[in-house]
Amino acid sequence: MRSGSRMGDAMWGLAGILIVLAAWELATRLGAIDPTIFPGPIAAIRSAAQRLPASVFLDNMAWSLFRVVGGFILGAVAGTVIGFAAGWYRGFGYFARPLIELLRPIPPLAWIPLAIIWFGLGEPSKFFIVFLGAFFPIVTSAYHGITHVDPSLIRASRSFGLKGLGMLFHVGIPASAPDLATGLRIGWGLSFGVLVAAELIAANRGLGFMIMNERTSGGSVSVIIVGILLIGLLNLVTDAALAAFIRRWIGRWHGG
Amino acid sequence: MRQQLIQALVALLLIAAILLGVEFGVREGYLKAYEFPPASRIAQGFVELTTVGFPTGVTIWTHTFVTVMRILKGYVAAIVIAVPLGLLIGAVPVLDKMTAPLIVFFRSVATLSLLPLAIVWFGAGELTKVILIGYGCFWVMLSNVIAGVKYVDPALIRAARSFRVSGWTLYREVVLPAALPRMFAGARVALGVGFMVIVGAEMIGTIQGLGALIMEARSFYRSEITVIGMLVIGVLGFLISSGLAAFERLLLPWGGGSSEASR
Amino acid sequence: MSRTGPERASSAAGAAPMIDIRHVRKQFDVRGGGEALVLDDINLSIAANQFLSIVGRSGCGKTTLLNIIAGLDAASGGEVLIAGRRVVGPGQGQGMVFQQHALFPWLTALENVVFGARSLPLAKAEKIDRARELLQLVGLEASAGKYPREMSGGMQQRIAIARALALDPDILLMDEPFGALDELTRIEMQQELLRIWEARRKTVVFITHSIGEALTLSDRVILLAPHPGRVARDIAIDLPRPRSRTDRRFNEFYEQIWSGLSS
Repeated sequence: MRSGSRMGDAMWGLAGILIVLAAWELATRLGAIDPTIFPGPIAAIRSAAQRLPASVFLDNMAWSLFRVVGGFILGAVAGTVIGFAAGWYRGFGYFARPLIELLRPIPPLAWIPLAIIWFGLGEPSKFFIVFLGAFFPIVTSAYHGITHVDPSLIRASRSFGLKGLGMLFHVGIPASAPDLATGLRIGWGLSFGVLVAAELIAANRGLGFMIMNERTSGGSVSVIIVGILLIGLLNLVTDAALAAFIRRWIGRWHGG
Repeated sequence: MRQQLIQALVALLLIAAILLGVEFGVREGYLKAYEFPPASRIAQGFVELTTVGFPTGVTIWTHTFVTVMRILKGYVAAIVIAVPLGLLIGAVPVLDKMTAPLIVFFRSVATLSLLPLAIVWFGAGELTKVILIGYGCFWVMLSNVIAGVKYVDPALIRAARSFRVSGWTLYREVVLPAALPRMFAGARVALGVGFMVIVGAEMIGTIQGLGALIMEARSFYRSEITVIGMLVIGVLGFLISSGLAAFERLLLPWGGGSSEASR
Repeated sequence: MSRTGPERASSAAGAAPMIDIRHVRKQFDVRGGGEALVLDDINLSIAANQFLSIVGRSGCGKTTLLNIIAGLDAASGGEVLIAGRRVVGPGQGQGMVFQQHALFPWLTALENVVFGARSLPLAKAEKIDRARELLQLVGLEASAGKYPREMSGGMQQRIAIARALALDPDILLMDEPFGALDELTRIEMQQELLRIWEARRKTVVFITHSIGEALTLSDRVILLAPHPGRVARDIAIDLPRPRSRTDRRFNEFYEQIWSGLSS
């Protein structure tokens, strides 16, 4: 039995956040840190708002979100299908697994140069990088899930006459859903991280571009700081939404 | 055993087929060598990289060494700070509650998004790269250390208490060893994060390191060198994480190493 | 069923009881307000060297009562005396064996037993000697160097018993220790426990779901009724050991307990 309620935990958490914000603000006011390179939270938001209209922030955010959602969906679909197929059909697994294992240790960002060579500097190369970020954790978890289905479930369903695709869809896939869900969460986080990096390195819009551009064009540190906070918040909110979706999907029978 | 043999054979054949296919495709003009560098070119490029270097004078060994050193500096610094801090936060419930949302937030900030800010603060040199790697590794390690300490099997704590073991002794002799598998898992994941971050960080403002190598090679239309760089990063990551796993088995002979880390 | 129950049936021997449970109550705060009464006015006197089993449905507070005797939980009201001394914490002569053995996975069998002797004012070598002796008592001296995961469920539970005996407690508190074992191992372990109990003469409080197990082992069986947990019956089992499950009186006791549980 854990002490303290949810409300109490939230209050402590809020206190922690407020302490950090207050310390940050105070440090700039007292001159402990140089406000020209590290403005306080209030000053940062104010001067970022002066420099760029809200529509610019929203526009860049929309582009980032579009890329990460698009690439993630591609990666999730491909990863799920290939992972399940490789685990369910041994013959396909023989071909797919070595390729996946060979490519997996290469970090998604290392593909940026090849992505540019293959797809140019436009949207497809960003989709490709985000795709890779999502694909590997998801394909791994889908494969792990489908190859670790409780054998008694398989035997039980066989005794009811299920086989082939029926078995895959009614037993294999639902039983691997919890593993897949873990892969989706990890894949989302990774997609998000690599997208921002890809935008820093080669893009002309998006949140990553916005903050890098502000730096290279000698703009305002405030915009960079607000941009970073926005990136963190966006990741936090979307990840929470994904977690909520997963809870609705499998929470009732799997728990958590 | 037989199945593993078949698997290895299929894998070898498959890879050979792909390499031969690209080689043939390029010779016959179906594929552009720039887009799909064939194995023969990659081999030539590798010889060049080990002797002359790319850019001239910087061999593949130098690039690898520079990258490994950057990762190690950031990684070790992150672990040295995260372990004691995590042990403290995990042991003090109020601290844990106060820091939990902050840690979630800091982890959500994509590490490389800090690059522009880090350049403003620390310049575009070594320090910025090491700090970014440190940042990425730190939060992953910290949250796994905290979780390790926090989620010790309550049955073990009860058992220890029934022998009148409590306080500091309980923490040192029960909580700490019980948290070790999770901490190791965290260290493994953190290393992976370090590898991710370094590639991005090296793509800007340097000509040394594997990330710089693959990016520079592209701008000189030397895609085969890009591919070599990618392969070296992959092999390196694989070797280091296998090494860490072996180290873990050595250090935790009781086989606690199955625990999952969270990212 | 009366709330007072048949009080102190077997403290009549005249000698002071080893365990004296007086008016013990336990309530928990429920999330979202309110309280749940888990134990209500428990009174029990347990004579030295008695083997007592507590039987009841899930949720009747058996484990809570055991934890209170062990000093791992505090009662909300009333008190427990061990040899006349009020229980304020563990280590007042209670040794505990848990349902899921709760052995420390990072310690070998021998080290687990040595851990049990931690708080004794002995030199390390003496503790090791003592632990070896206990391993011998449970018949596992050959497995001293094994880690828990390398042992079967029965062996793990034997180590847990040896560990509980390390402080040479007057009382052995056992929380469904054989619940997770298969039937054959379970019968072996019951015989083993009786052998150890006869060799070392302890007062045993044994929690179980199994009526047969309680009857095979105990001098006395307590039925706990749930919501709130209270003593429903107190039955002295005056059968000679070793006991046979096909014995007529064994079956009469069985019927008596079963009817007590289903009323």
